[in-house]
Amino acid sequence: MSVNDRPVFVLAGTGGGDLRSLEDYRRVGGYVSLEKARQMGREAVLEEIKKASLRGRGGAGFPMGQKASFLPSPAQAHGPIYLVVNADESEPGAFKDREIIVRVPHRLIEGIQIAAAVIGARACFVYIRGEYLSEYEILMAALAEAEGAGLVSVPIIVHRGAGAYICGEETALLESLEGKRGMPRSKPPFPAIVGLYDSPTLINNVETLATVPKIIEIGGDAYAKIGVKDSTGTRLFSLSGNVVRRGNYELPHGTTFRELIYDCGGGISEGRKLKAIIPGGSSSPLLTADQVDMSMDFDTLQKAGSFLGSASVIAIDERACMVQLGLRIGQFYMYESCGKCTPCREGTRWIETLLRKIEEGRASHAELDLLVDVCERMLGKCLCPLGDSDAMVVASYVTHFREEFEAHIDQGGCPFGGSSSLEGVRSPVDELYRGRVRQEAAR
Amino acid sequence: MSAPELITITVDGRQVQVPKGTGLVEAAATAGIEIPVFCYEPRIGSAVGACRMCLVEIEGMPKLQTGCTTPAQDGMVVHTARTSETAARGQNATIEFLLLNHPLDCPVCDKGGECPLQDLSFRYGPGKTRMTFRKRSLEKPIPISPTIALDRERCILCYRCTRFSQEVAEDEELVAVNRGALTMIATFEDEPYRGPFSGNIVELCPVGALTSTQYRFLARPWEYERAASVCGLCAVGCNITVQSREGRVQRVLSRNHPEVDRGWLCDKGRFSSPHLYAEERIHSPRYRRGEAGAVEELDWDEALAELERLIGEAHGEVVLALSGTETLEVAYSLAAIVRRGAHSDGVVLPEPALDALDPYRVPLSALAAAEEIVVFEESPVLERAPVVDLWLRLARRNGTRLTTIGPAGEIQRAPGDGAGACRELAGETNELGQRLRKAERVILIWSGRGGAGGAHLAGLAHALGLHEKDGSGALYLPSTPNPRGVAEAWEAAADESSHQPEQIGLLLVSGDEAANDPAIRKLAERARRTVALTLFAGDTASWADLVLPATSYLEGEGTMRNLEGRLQRLRRVAAAPVRPELSWLAELGERIGVTLPASATGIFAELSAKALDGISPSSLGDRAPLPARAKAGPVEAPEPEAPPTVRGGPLELIRYRALFSGPVVEHVPQLAFQRPLPEVEISAEDADRRAIADGDDVVVRSNGISVKLRARINAALRPGSVRIAAEHCSELALGVQVSRP
Repeated sequence: MSVNDRPVFVLAGTGGGDLRSLEDYRRVGGYVSLEKARQMGREAVLEEIKKASLRGRGGAGFPMGQKASFLPSPAQAHGPIYLVVNADESEPGAFKDREIIVRVPHRLIEGIQIAAAVIGARACFVYIRGEYLSEYEILMAALAEAEGAGLVSVPIIVHRGAGAYICGEETALLESLEGKRGMPRSKPPFPAIVGLYDSPTLINNVETLATVPKIIEIGGDAYAKIGVKDSTGTRLFSLSGNVVRRGNYELPHGTTFRELIYDCGGGISEGRKLKAIIPGGSSSPLLTADQVDMSMDFDTLQKAGSFLGSASVIAIDERACMVQLGLRIGQFYMYESCGKCTPCREGTRWIETLLRKIEEGRASHAELDLLVDVCERMLGKCLCPLGDSDAMVVASYVTHFREEFEAHIDQGGCPFGGSSSLEGVRSPVDELYRGRVRQEAAR
Repeated sequence: MSAPELITITVDGRQVQVPKGTGLVEAAATAGIEIPVFCYEPRIGSAVGACRMCLVEIEGMPKLQTGCTTPAQDGMVVHTARTSETAARGQNATIEFLLLNHPLDCPVCDKGGECPLQDLSFRYGPGKTRMTFRKRSLEKPIPISPTIALDRERCILCYRCTRFSQEVAEDEELVAVNRGALTMIATFEDEPYRGPFSGNIVELCPVGALTSTQYRFLARPWEYERAASVCGLCAVGCNITVQSREGRVQRVLSRNHPEVDRGWLCDKGRFSSPHLYAEERIHSPRYRRGEAGAVEELDWDEALAELERLIGEAHGEVVLALSGTETLEVAYSLAAIVRRGAHSDGVVLPEPALDALDPYRVPLSALAAAEEIVVFEESPVLERAPVVDLWLRLARRNGTRLTTIGPAGEIQRAPGDGAGACRELAGETNELGQRLRKAERVILIWSGRGGAGGAHLAGLAHALGLHEKDGSGALYLPSTPNPRGVAEAWEAAADESSHQPEQIGLLLVSGDEAANDPAIRKLAERARRTVALTLFAGDTASWADLVLPATSYLEGEGTMRNLEGRLQRLRRVAAAPVRPELSWLAELGERIGVTLPASATGIFAELSAKALDGISPSSLGDRAPLPARAKAGPVEAPEPEAPPTVRGGPLELIRYRALFSGPVVEHVPQLAFQRPLPEVEISAEDADRRAIADGDDVVVRSNGISVKLRARINAALRPGSVRIAAEHCSELALGVQVSRP
C-alpha cells in the first residue's frame, strides 16, 4: 500500500486542513455516528468497539472495550460513573493529541459522547495539558458549538493541567483533577472501580476516543481488517528528530519505521546516517538503525524489548552523543519525578548524576556498571511507570552503545568533542538543581 | 455483623488463615513474619505504597509487590526477604536509595536508638555506600511551629505527616512542595503549624526529621524511665507513656488505647509537661496573717496545725470546692476530712455528673462505626474533648451521618436550647428522630453547658431505645477531667454525723480550676476563712488565708473516670517537688480523728469497697476496660431550664473555654502561640448589619464594660449569638453589643 492511498480515520475529511467548525465537520458526516450509536444502544456499541480490537492510544495499549467492561453498569454502581479524557499529552516526542484537538475537535467530542453513553457516565472530564492554551481554546469553542446544537447530552468539563508530566499517568491525573497534588495512586483498586471521587471511572486517551466514531460508522469488523493482528486500525504517528519533514502521519499499524521515516518524513536531513530510533516516546527503550524495517505494531515492538507507547517516533542521526541523549532524557525524568516513591525519587537523581559524570569524563568503569545496576535496582520496583521508564531507557542506551559510554571514560570526556547535535541541550534541571531551588530551600 | 470469611495464604512456607481483605503486612504478622514498612500506617488512611520497603514476591506475579497495598487472597503464596532473593534485593535497594541523601548524624539525632530507618538499615540495608556525590544539604532545622522542628535532610518523604494533617486531623496545614528529589515537607504558606493535634506527626515520623523542640538534644532514648499513665487534662483520658530522667519529665508520648484515643494525643496533652517546672509553682505552704498581713512560708507541721485549727474554728461549717481535676483518691481524702472530720456536707462540685448515661455506655471507638451521630454542640467538641473530634472526623470519613445541633450547628438552636432539641427528637413525629429510630447504630453526644449531667440526653437515648442496640449509646462531654469521679468520691465519703452548713466558716478550695472560678471566688468573699490547694501561686495570696502546694496529674498515683465511664489509672511519673496530698491528708486525718490510708492503693481499696463493687486497681490494667452497661430503666428527663434572660445588649454571648487555656496551659511558654486570639466570632448576618468585615477591630460592650476585639466571621454561627473565649470576656454580661469603634 502506498502512502497516498492509506486509510485515514482520525483525520478523515480534513484534506490537510481542519474541521473546527461544526458546519465543516457535519459536511463530512460528523455526529452521524453519535446518532447511530444512540439507536444501537450501549451494549451494541460496546460490542463494536470490542470487535474493532481498539487498543488504547495513550501508551499502554490496553483494549478499550475490555477496560469499559470492567466498570459496573449504572444500575449496579453505588454512585455516579465518570468518563475522563486524558489530554495531558506531555511525553517527549508526542504531539498527536494536540493535532486532533486542533484539527478535528468535534470528532473527539463525538467520541466522548459515544463512550459516555456506553458506560452511562454522569459527566466527562477532559484533562488537558496546561501548556496547550490555544488548543484548549479551540476545544472550548467547538464544545460550545456542539452544546449549542444539542449534541452534548453528557456534560463535558475541560480542566487545564498545571505543567506536570506525571499527571498524564491516569491515577495522578485523577488526583490532580480532584484538586490534590498530582501523585499516582497505588493500584489496585483500579479506576474502573475506584476512580475519580472514588467513583467508577473510564479513562481514555484523546486519540482512542477520536477513533470511536469511525468504528461506529464502518463497523468493528471492518475496522479490525485495517492494520495487523492485535494492532488494528490506524495510528497517528508523531515523527520528530533529525528528519526532513517532522509531523503527524496517520498510518495503519504494521507500517515500518522505514516507511515512516523515509517515505513520509523524507529521510534523515542532509543525507546523514540514521543511528537510532526512539519508537514510542521518550519512555520506550531505544532501537538501533538496523531495526528500521521493523513493523510498527504493539506486539512486534514488545518482542524487540521496547514498546510502541504513544507512537511517537524520534529519529536520531549519527551526530548525536548517546550519553548526552541519556543525560537529557534522564534530566527530564528527574525533573518530572513526583517524589512519591523512593526508587524513582532517588534513582532518577542518581542516574542523572552518574550520566553527568560520564559525560564530563569524571567517571570510572565501575561507575558505568553502577549506572546499569542502579537502573536494575529501580526497574519493577517503582509505584508507577515513570521511574521504570527512566531505568529502562537509560539501560537500553548503555546496552546498545556501550562502547560510546566507555569511550567517554577512557578519553576523559565526550568523544564528540563538542560536535554532538545534542551539545548543550539540557533541561531546566540544570539550573534548578544547582541554583535556584537550593537557594529557595535555604531561605 | 457476621463473621468475616477466612482465607488461607502461605508466607515463607507458613500457612495462616486470615479474614478476607486483610493486608499482606498484617497477614504476615499473623504468621509471625515481619514485613518492614516506613510509610505504611493504617491509622492514617489507606496504604499508599510510597516507600517501597514492604516489597514481597508473590508467586504468579512477575514484579515485586508492596505488602502494604496488596490484600491477601485465598491461596496466595508470598515470599518475604527471608525466603526470596528478589525481595531481599528489592528491600536492599530501597534502603540504599533512602540512605543516599540521609545524613549520617545518628549520634546526635534525637531519633537515634528508636529510629525505624536505623533499625531497618541494620537488618535489610547494604553494608556500605556506593554513592560518590555530595549529599543534598538544606537549611535546618526549620521551626514549623514553636513546638516542632523539621530537618529536611533527614526526611525520607514517607508522607506520614502530610497524610496525618490531611486525612486524620484534616487541618490541611502540612503540604509537600516541589517535586522529585527536591520534594520537601512544608507548612502551607510557611505559616506555623497551628493544628491542635500537630504533635502526633513527631511520633509518626519514622526518622528524625520531625522533632519536638521541648525534647531536642536532651538525652538518648535508652536513658529514660518510662511509665504508662493517663493524661489528666480533659475527660477523654488519653493513654500516655511518660518518659522521665532523674525524676524530670522529658516527654509525653501516646500509648494507643484503641477504644479511647487510637494512639493520638492533642498538643495540650502532649506538650504541657513544662508546667511542672514553672517558676510560679508553689513549693511550700504559705500563710497570710490577718487580712493584709505578710505572707510567710510554713513547714508542713505548722501548716497542718494551722489547718487543724481552721477546721476546728469553723465548727462544722466547712465547704469543699472541687475542681474536677482531682483523682478519685485525692477527692475521697478531701471529702473524708470534710464529711467525717469536720462533719460537714458542704460541697461545690465542678459540674453535674450523673450516672444517667450508664445504660448507654459505648467506647469512643464505636463512633467510627456508627451509622448516625448527633452532637448537641453548644461548645465545639474540640474544645471539650479534643480527641473525640478526631473520632468524629474518622466517623464521617467512614460514612457516618453526623448532625450537629447548636448555635453553630447544621440544625441551629439558641445557646442553652439543647434540652429542648432533645425533647423534640424524642417525639414521634420528628423527622431526624424517626431516622434515628430506624438506624442500627446511633450515638448521641452532649457538648456544652446545661446538660444536667447527661440527664437530657438519657431521656432521648431511652426514647430511641439505644440501650437495646449494640454499638449505640450516648456520651456526655464534661468540661473538667474527672467530674464524675470526684462526685463518686464525695458520695463514698458520706458520714451519718455530717450536716449541711448554714454559713461558710471555712472554704477549702481544691485545685487551680476552682481557684480561678469567679463563682468560687465569690464564695471566698463570703467565707470567714479560706484555704486553697493549688499548683501555682497566682493571686491566691490576696484571698486565701492558707495556700497549700498541690501536685500535678503527672506526679501522683490515682484513678480518674473518663467521659465514657472508664476508670483509668494515673501513675506517678515525675518526682513531685512538694509533699503529696495523700500523705499530708492522712496525717491531717490523724489529727482530727479520721483514719485515712496514705497510699493511693489503700484509698482505692476503701473507696472500692464502698462504691466501686470491690474492684481492684490491678483489674484496670494498663489499658482499662469499659465497665458493663447499667440496666436501663424508664428515664424522666428533667424539664429544660428556662433560657436565661439576655440583658446588656442584643447579642447573646457564648463565653467558651478554649482548648489551649486554663492554668496548666498558661504555664507552658511553648504553647503560647496556640492560646485563643482576642477575637469575637460573629455570624455573617450580624456582621453585615453592622458593616463589620472579617478581621475588623470592633468593640464589644455591655453593662458599661467594653472590650476591644477583632471580628471573626463564623459562617456556621447563628445570627444573634457571638462567641468569645473566656479569657477575653472580661466581665461582659450575657447580652452584648458589637460595633465598629
